[in-house]
Amino acid sequence: MSMTLKVASRNIFRQKKRTFLLAGAIAFGMLVITLINAFTGGLVENIRENIADIFGGHVFITGTEYPEGGQIVRRMKPDDRLDELLAEHAPFISSHTKRSEAYATFIFGSKRTVDTVYGVDFVEENKLLESLVVSKGSFDRVAELNNAIIVTETVGQRLGVEPGETILVKLDTITGQQNVGEFQVEAFVKDQDMFGMSSAYAHRAYLNELLGLDTHEFQNLYLTIHDLSQAEAVARDFRVGLRSDDEIEEEEVEVSVSVAGMPISPQDKKEPIQPWEGTRYRVMGINEIMEPIEQVVGVLDKIALVVFLILLFVTMVGITNTFRMIMIERTREIGTMRAFGMHKKQVKRIFLWEATLVSLLGVVTGLVLSGVLVFILSRIGITKDPAMQMFLTEGRLSFVISKGSLVVNTVLVVVISLIAAYWPAKAAAKLSPMKALGSHT
Amino acid sequence: MAIVQLENVKKVYSLGKAEVQAVRGVSFSIEKGDFASIVGPSGSGKSTILNLIGCIDQPTEGTVIINGTATEGLKDKALTNLRHQTLGFIFQSFNLIPVLNVYENIEFPLLLGKNKMSKKETREWIEYLVEAVGLKDHIIHKSNELSGGQRQRVAIARALVTKPEIVLADEPTANLDSKTGQSILELMKKMNADLNTTFIFSTHDTSIMDIADHVVRLLDGLVVEDTKAKVKVGS
Ligand SMILES: Nc1ncnc2c1ncn2[C@@H]1O[C@H](COP(=O)(O)OP(=O)(O)O)[C@@H](O)[C@H]1O
Ligand SMILES: [Mg+2]
Repeated sequence: MSMTLKVASRNIFRQKKRTFLLAGAIAFGMLVITLINAFTGGLVENIRENIADIFGGHVFITGTEYPEGGQIVRRMKPDDRLDELLAEHAPFISSHTKRSEAYATFIFGSKRTVDTVYGVDFVEENKLLESLVVSKGSFDRVAELNNAIIVTETVGQRLGVEPGETILVKLDTITGQQNVGEFQVEAFVKDQDMFGMSSAYAHRAYLNELLGLDTHEFQNLYLTIHDLSQAEAVARDFRVGLRSDDEIEEEEVEVSVSVAGMPISPQDKKEPIQPWEGTRYRVMGINEIMEPIEQVVGVLDKIALVVFLILLFVTMVGITNTFRMIMIERTREIGTMRAFGMHKKQVKRIFLWEATLVSLLGVVTGLVLSGVLVFILSRIGITKDPAMQMFLTEGRLSFVISKGSLVVNTVLVVVISLIAAYWPAKAAAKLSPMKALGSHT
Repeated sequence: MAIVQLENVKKVYSLGKAEVQAVRGVSFSIEKGDFASIVGPSGSGKSTILNLIGCIDQPTEGTVIINGTATEGLKDKALTNLRHQTLGFIFQSFNLIPVLNVYENIEFPLLLGKNKMSKKETREWIEYLVEAVGLKDHIIHKSNELSGGQRQRVAIARALVTKPEIVLADEPTANLDSKTGQSILELMKKMNADLNTTFIFSTHDTSIMDIADHVVRLLDGLVVEDTKAKVKVGS
């Protein structure tokens, strides 16, 4: 061990209270930033994990047509390219669902309300009914009744309807005509009201009829991926695989360009859209869905960083003052060491080592405390409220501590401590060896 | 051979506008192996001269030559190296490093530069010094666990650890009672004889200068007496 490090490591135990206060302040700052980062990290992770339950998948594919002389419609026909891609990626995909969808007005007597209706293939999506929680009625006859509809509790209450009764559903066809269909309410389910995304479910074949689609056509293809880390890669494969030859490669650019966490889209060019042949697909990965969430989390993390920096700044003032005091207290000792042949830079190094050691002591203490708190907090049940489950894992908070931000924060603390100790260290180095003399003890 | 040589050395301190002539033209030399004493009343310039010899201060005028090197115009780095290689220090207030124990305090100067001895040699040498200054039983004590006399013994061992040509001691006994002070001087004398290290100590107490074989007496920044014993004690 170098002489300067050895002396410095002894020195930090000389005034234990002083070291304790400085390291404690640093530990507190580290605790705050680590907890907030771990909390937001856990939040993002939970939302990612739970996103399939909320949105029905991890990769979302929509198709649009713009035939010559016609208008833009959302429609996907059975497509060999799609089926091939699905087959190729079968090992990664745990399920896929083909749905049609309408934003519709529900009418019962004089009452009306609006909601999204999904047209689903209940046979293909055999897990959907399992995932819904019935609050009234039952799913028993859903399969056999081709105009059955499952609505949320809220919609049911707004309409004042009971299971078994028939409602009218008014919607726009894909070409924009108004259409009305009769649906028989079979069950109410608990709201999965997440970001206002409640929805009703009906048979796709029947909804397609009302929308003006063929039985086997659909509007959304949702893929659920086994391993979330593969989701973006799968999305990319589909994006590339489904791109038609005449499409410019702008989508790729559009997806991932961001500056300081803020996505920027190249939407400056406003050329009128030309009709195209066949279907154009748009493939969205989980990252695009997560983008606004991550922006919010990014803001939280930035606030935490500002708080952390303020704490560090206050600590920095404390460190500078403390080391100035240390310099005065050790004037004679420094003079003695200089007399015996210690160079100025070695004196400086002792001070800087002391600052480094104290700050590392603070960092380690802060991290240990964070670890303990995370351990305790992640074991406390927060709530069973379904609306909150998106942010939780089995009703509990979970924390993800990112190694990257740990390293960055540690480096930040050490660098700031070194800056704070630099001036006193330099002043100490300038002390004359003559200070060793004199009669004061 | 003169190991220390002062030629017409002057030192002026400026206190604001006022100037203090601490040393006003001093010439003398110290031979290798001398056990020299600089004697004079308080304010006569003893510390100033020891600081000049110790390369921790520079003369305003004149030349100081230490072991063949003139200190004139040397930068801090060179002076620091010169101190480390050639000089050892004993202070009036002992000045042990409080965080280090006896062994570590003695070892400390060795850690400041290149140590030519092997690890084993170093340990044996420090153990020899610890034993020579009579602190074998206090080797892991910290300085606050030692008496004044014991602290100064550690300081003597520390001053000798780098095997310097010259050990400087500015009033080494001023903070000790006369009996302890006497034993410290005797220890210094013994080390001077055993290791042939040049010792220069200052004192304002004329009663303890008898032990020296070379006495430089100062008054008001001037040498008033420079006496060498005809036959060196112990040689
Ligand atoms: N750093 C200094 N600044 C100003 N005057 C000093 C300084 N050091 C010593 N002096 C003055 O120089 C003279 C000699 O001092 P010094 O060498 O300490 O004498 P001694 O050690 O014999 O008591 C004294 O008058 C003292 O006040
Ligand atoms: Mg003096």
